[in-house]
Amino acid sequence: MTDQHHSPDQPRRPSAGDSHSVSDSRLVEAHSHLARDKEEPKEGFSLLPIIVVFIFCGFGFWAGLYLTRNAAGFSPSAFDLSAPREVASDGPKAFEPDLAKGEKLFLQQCASCHQANGLGVPGAFPPLANSAWATGSEDRIIKIILAGIAGEMEVNGMKYNGNMPNIGAGLKDAQVANIVSYVRSAWGNQAEAVMDTKVAEVRKAIGSRGQYSPKEILEQHPLEAK
Amino acid sequence: MKNIKLIFAGVLFTLSASFIGILLSGRVQLGSLGRAPAEEGGPLFPLREPGLAIQGRQVYISLGCVACHTQQVRPASQGSDIAKGYGPRHSVARDYVLQSSVLLGSQRIGPDLANYGARVSSENEIHAHLRSPKAGSAMPSYDFLYTTGKDGAKVPTEKATALVAYLKSLKIDYSSPEAKLNQ
Amino acid sequence: MSQDSYRPSFNISRVDASVAQPVRLFFASAFLWLMLASILSVITAIQLKDVSFLGGCSLTTYGRLKALEGNLFAYGWVTNALFGLNLWLMSSLTRFEFKNAWLANVGGVVWNLTLTYGAIQIIMGNMNGLSLLEMPKEVAVASFVGFLFAALWPVVAFSRRPTGHVYVSQWYILGSTFVFPIIFALTQLLVLWCPAQGVLQALVHSWFHQNFYLLWFASSAIAAVYYFIPKESGRTVSAYYLSSVGFWTFFLVASWTSPATLLGSPLPLWVQSAGVVAAILMLIPLVILAINFLGTLSWNRGISQSWNNTTLRFVLVAIFALILWGALFATFSTRGLNAVIRFTSFNTGLEHLLTYSFVSFVIFGATYFILPKVTGISWLSSKLVHLHFWSCAIGTVSLLIITLLGGWQQGSGLRADWPSVIFPSVLLLIGHIAFGINAFGMLTAKLSSGHESTHA
Repeated sequence: MTDQHHSPDQPRRPSAGDSHSVSDSRLVEAHSHLARDKEEPKEGFSLLPIIVVFIFCGFGFWAGLYLTRNAAGFSPSAFDLSAPREVASDGPKAFEPDLAKGEKLFLQQCASCHQANGLGVPGAFPPLANSAWATGSEDRIIKIILAGIAGEMEVNGMKYNGNMPNIGAGLKDAQVANIVSYVRSAWGNQAEAVMDTKVAEVRKAIGSRGQYSPKEILEQHPLEAK
Repeated sequence: MKNIKLIFAGVLFTLSASFIGILLSGRVQLGSLGRAPAEEGGPLFPLREPGLAIQGRQVYISLGCVACHTQQVRPASQGSDIAKGYGPRHSVARDYVLQSSVLLGSQRIGPDLANYGARVSSENEIHAHLRSPKAGSAMPSYDFLYTTGKDGAKVPTEKATALVAYLKSLKIDYSSPEAKLNQ
Repeated sequence: MSQDSYRPSFNISRVDASVAQPVRLFFASAFLWLMLASILSVITAIQLKDVSFLGGCSLTTYGRLKALEGNLFAYGWVTNALFGLNLWLMSSLTRFEFKNAWLANVGGVVWNLTLTYGAIQIIMGNMNGLSLLEMPKEVAVASFVGFLFAALWPVVAFSRRPTGHVYVSQWYILGSTFVFPIIFALTQLLVLWCPAQGVLQALVHSWFHQNFYLLWFASSAIAAVYYFIPKESGRTVSAYYLSSVGFWTFFLVASWTSPATLLGSPLPLWVQSAGVVAAILMLIPLVILAINFLGTLSWNRGISQSWNNTTLRFVLVAIFALILWGALFATFSTRGLNAVIRFTSFNTGLEHLLTYSFVSFVIFGATYFILPKVTGISWLSSKLVHLHFWSCAIGTVSLLIITLLGGWQQGSGLRADWPSVIFPSVLLLIGHIAFGINAFGMLTAKLSSGHESTHA
């Protein structure tokens, strides 16, 4: 069954294009073969499938990257991309310092130097228990955790020469706040808990910087009298 | 690819992927959203709409106002809505939980109306604007919503009264847990 | 020159004859709705610049006329034409002869009557506030039934086809035919019958909108392009083995793009980001389509030869429109650029690019091919064909320039007013009138002469 009447749509122009016109059944059959056995590889064209696969992979990679960066943790209450992430994902629930979480994090992150009992190691790692460095200024302890500290320092009359890395840089605001709150209430310490917003504030204020020296931090936040 | 069942199943799969991925997950996250106070113990927002405003929304819909007006304020990071004065903060999903039909709109031939009620001073101002928009405004006159009273003064019909009550009720002058007003 | 040399009547193939009646009905009603829609678009374009035009009466207020125009264009013109196009194309490709094609007529009548009723309701103000869902919810039930009767015949033809081979056009037709009833029913349910809460309504609506445009409109139009290119050029589709990848990626990605039209709205960020990703992934199927289409046409002066073929000339414009749409949609779905053009006439332009410059141009091209086959006479006047093409081509290009550039200027604060589209709307109307005279001349001439030869 062939279509003989392919020209009526051009009453005035028996065009070149039309002379090529093929019947429907031949059209379908020819392509059906094409789908089964791939087109003969031609010069300059055989690379196409590989390139396509590479492009697909590239797109997929980019899509994953974009989603993780711009989805605000899949939070139902994040609408503004420029809003601080923590506030957005915590939504209506206010932050409550969680001492149990703080203790767990302390044992993971800090106890190898400061020891689980908070007494530190003489000469190298200063104690946190009964130390004004821990119970005094919130800003000071948060800064030290976020940026680290190196150099000779004096705590409760003893000299220490240690090197603390910027542990807090890799932690979330709420995690740092939990650790600080724990430290300020453990081993007989009695100081106010710290909120995640405070940590966020300090983090923003100091930006990315190197370790503090004891002299620098004490200039900013002198040690409180016992 | 010759099997019609395969094509049907495949198409159904692709559709349900987006249906589940976007619509159902959206419903899981937002479906039970309710009114909430911005701070603990505060009043619940959004406020319930007055009955007249609910009728007014129907007038708004039936006149096709949504063809030219949106009701959404984008965050400052995504457009200049707040800078243009369309609202003091960006809209959040919670603002719409009480609305029977949500009229976000997609074109701004006229201004955004999400906070219109807070921008105008009185209902009379809205009446005046509906009857005779300022010269140069792209809005047609809605004088047909008014009748002439015995003394020759224009009297709003029920539709006009309801529409104005609705427009006056469009406000985002409250903090929401997701977006606080800047004090 | 005698009348007969203008309209040589010739035999209709048996397959074409078996669907001729419903196809003519669908096309005829589509052309009528197109006329109405383009008159309305001229009126609304004037109303935007002269607010008092047809004012003072709730029946002709801009909001209602604009809603009416959108519905008549989408459900009256494009959808009716796609009923006819899909039916004819599928029966041609399968060589299946319908015995009971009159059932499709019933579907067509139901569909058009409900649309008429819905259109009157919109004018009376009994409408909903979501574009393309404005018609009252009761109408949707009848539309749904009408659709099933009007559109499901390609499925019948395919499942009972005498030949075993399958061509890519058939996948796209089947896909689009399956998609429409599903999205239509789900959306009516979730937006009008038992409305989802709050902004979810807007999300469901955008999901419908995007699927409707891409998986019903564009998918059917792509099927036709896949048919006419090898048919009229006599070449097999180049890189044909990519076409199935293109089909599945198109369907998989397209229905995720809806949140990309809602950037900055009060929907959670991750939903919006998913839409952005999908909008950019749309480039994959579109690149495959471009390789298939342009690769086939661009052999040895193929493009210039296509230019001399009425159908291919329309299709060629449509292909470039589709490619441009994909590029613009992906580019302007990125957050930074979208912030500028959102809510401006830029979006009108993008919508026009997809639904008119691509889909409608494919339908025009297809009509020039199909109508002679189902009426048995050729087009009355080639002058009118030229007038139609040039008027619509210039109209659509100028409308795109005005709305896209104007939208960009609006968004970046360079202009305050909405760009005027009176000039392109009038051009499109002129083109459609030329097209209508030609088409109705054929349709009515056939009805009056009445003889239908059925031997192949």
